[in-house]
Amino acid sequence: MSTRAYVYSVYQWLNVKIFAIPGRVIALLFFAFLFIVPFITANKYLIYTLSMTCIFAIFATSWDFLSGYCGQINLGHGVFFAVGGYIASMLSAHFHLSPWLTISIGSLIAAIAGLIVTLPALRLRGFYLSLVTLSFPIISHGIVLAFADYTGGEVGLYGVSPLTTSGTTSYYIIVLIMLFSVFFMYKFTDLESKFIRVGIIIYAIREDEITARASGINTTRYKFLVFFISSFFAGIAGALYAHTITVVGPSTLEVMFSFQPILWTIFGSIGTIYGPVAGVFLLYPFMEFLQIWGATEHIRYIIFALMLICFMLFMPEGVTIWVRDKIEVTCQRCKKINIMTRSYCRICNGPLHLRKEESEDL
Amino acid sequence: MNSPFLEVKRLTKDFGGIRAINEVTFNIEKGEIVGLIGPNGAGKTTLVRLITGILKPTYGSVQFKGEEITGWPTWKIVNKGIVCTFQVVKPFRHLPVIANVMVSSLCPNAKKKGEWVKTVELRARDALEFCGIADLALELASVLSHGELKRLEIARAIGTFPELLLLDEPFGGLNPAETTLLANSLKRLNKGGRFGRLHSEEITMVVVEHKLSDLMKIVNRVIVIDHGEIITIGSPEEVVKDPRVIKAYVGREVFKGVS
Repeated sequence: MSTRAYVYSVYQWLNVKIFAIPGRVIALLFFAFLFIVPFITANKYLIYTLSMTCIFAIFATSWDFLSGYCGQINLGHGVFFAVGGYIASMLSAHFHLSPWLTISIGSLIAAIAGLIVTLPALRLRGFYLSLVTLSFPIISHGIVLAFADYTGGEVGLYGVSPLTTSGTTSYYIIVLIMLFSVFFMYKFTDLESKFIRVGIIIYAIREDEITARASGINTTRYKFLVFFISSFFAGIAGALYAHTITVVGPSTLEVMFSFQPILWTIFGSIGTIYGPVAGVFLLYPFMEFLQIWGATEHIRYIIFALMLICFMLFMPEGVTIWVRDKIEVTCQRCKKINIMTRSYCRICNGPLHLRKEESEDL
Repeated sequence: MNSPFLEVKRLTKDFGGIRAINEVTFNIEKGEIVGLIGPNGAGKTTLVRLITGILKPTYGSVQFKGEEITGWPTWKIVNKGIVCTFQVVKPFRHLPVIANVMVSSLCPNAKKKGEWVKTVELRARDALEFCGIADLALELASVLSHGELKRLEIARAIGTFPELLLLDEPFGGLNPAETTLLANSLKRLNKGGRFGRLHSEEITMVVVEHKLSDLMKIVNRVIVIDHGEIITIGSPEEVVKDPRVIKAYVGREVFKGVS
């Protein structure tokens, strides 16, 4: 194949897979924006804030994967974050291992913690599971204080080496890890995927666990898998967090910290994987900038709460679904996504904007 | 020793102090369609749920092809070849119809090792086609009517490649035309054969039903239960004439008045 034909085929693939769907174009522009930020500005604080935002995006996405997608509402997701963070920082501060090693070990141990948490989760459902998971950060907080010599106790553990010496390089590493994590979880939960079948099964477990079991699905195994993956990515986020702010304290085990991913996810649309990313990137920098502009913590939380209430009033399904409904339309016949401006489907050429009576005829 | 296809021995279930199923014993041979009838609250649904492991029996045993399956988890029993449909339909409402069937087609019993998801999807489509709802494949299950959901339940059940199909009120809420259609397709399933990519051997069936008139046309044998106990087992013609069955269905006083 000549180079020109190859380039043309790539262009066609882009045309069909990305440019035809407005949501994907926005995602592409967003990631491109993340990559060119260091070229636009040399402001270290901005880069640092964006790094933290990316880390929390991984964290919120992992919560969405577990609770929004599989329906195992976890109110103590901070515990996985903290396990990742503490293990990474202990390895870094006491044994002076390289960040790569500490992050991988930290996230793996967080994933194992996720498997342990699954054991009660298998027996409990709904609110009862949520209440039990709420207790895990509190238990872990006690453990951290009990072994203060290793964990730093109430003050926190200092002496964690930064990811790299340069802030910009660290930023790029974090953005790449964030990209990979979000893409992995998005693909994993993709219902239309021709290769990965797990997405449908996870969704089915959320919808009706008894029917899933009556369909011959070993739901126990899939719950373990979902908890493993979710806590693994939460652990990665925790380890990156520890290496970015170079200190990890018991604040990550506070109840409010575990509620943050829930707020971000619900703000950005639950059960969509890309929703929490949007939620974090809208809310977290906003809160940071309020701090720069001189708002005290109480005032920040009042503004945060008011904003959340207002957004939820007008966009009850979250920001991304609200935007998606404004720019995308699903074909009634072939269920493919089209841009709002089209009047006929790009795949099946069926009419897109039908009135209600007409769509019932179809 | 040739053991029976499904052997239920002294199966008992207590809900608190109430005995829902009391020492029920019966056999089912391969290839037959058995009707399970009884008045409301007789324990028909409980019996089906006990066999498929959704409920755990208090004591008693269920043997399938000579193997003890009592107390197994539901998914394991389904992969062994026994699958049930629900009386109150329980689809995955926010999933497309095709995905509903794909979940069951992805279970280890149906999915061969190394098989591509694409093949599974085609097979799920054949199951939908067999049940007559292939044109709704891409719609969400929540927009389907009750009759279509009943058919979706059956498509989901045959997607797992069952050998024994327990149908809990398949005709409930269907109009006469739909009932006849469904009865015909059940007969076809029982004979076995090749339906697209779904090549099934003859499927043994247990049909739980209220409407005796529809049931009697398709079944070989009828088990009548009342208050958790088997009243009688026999051919449809015998059973409808049995005074104990009439008594259980119509009630003592009315029965006296009629006779």
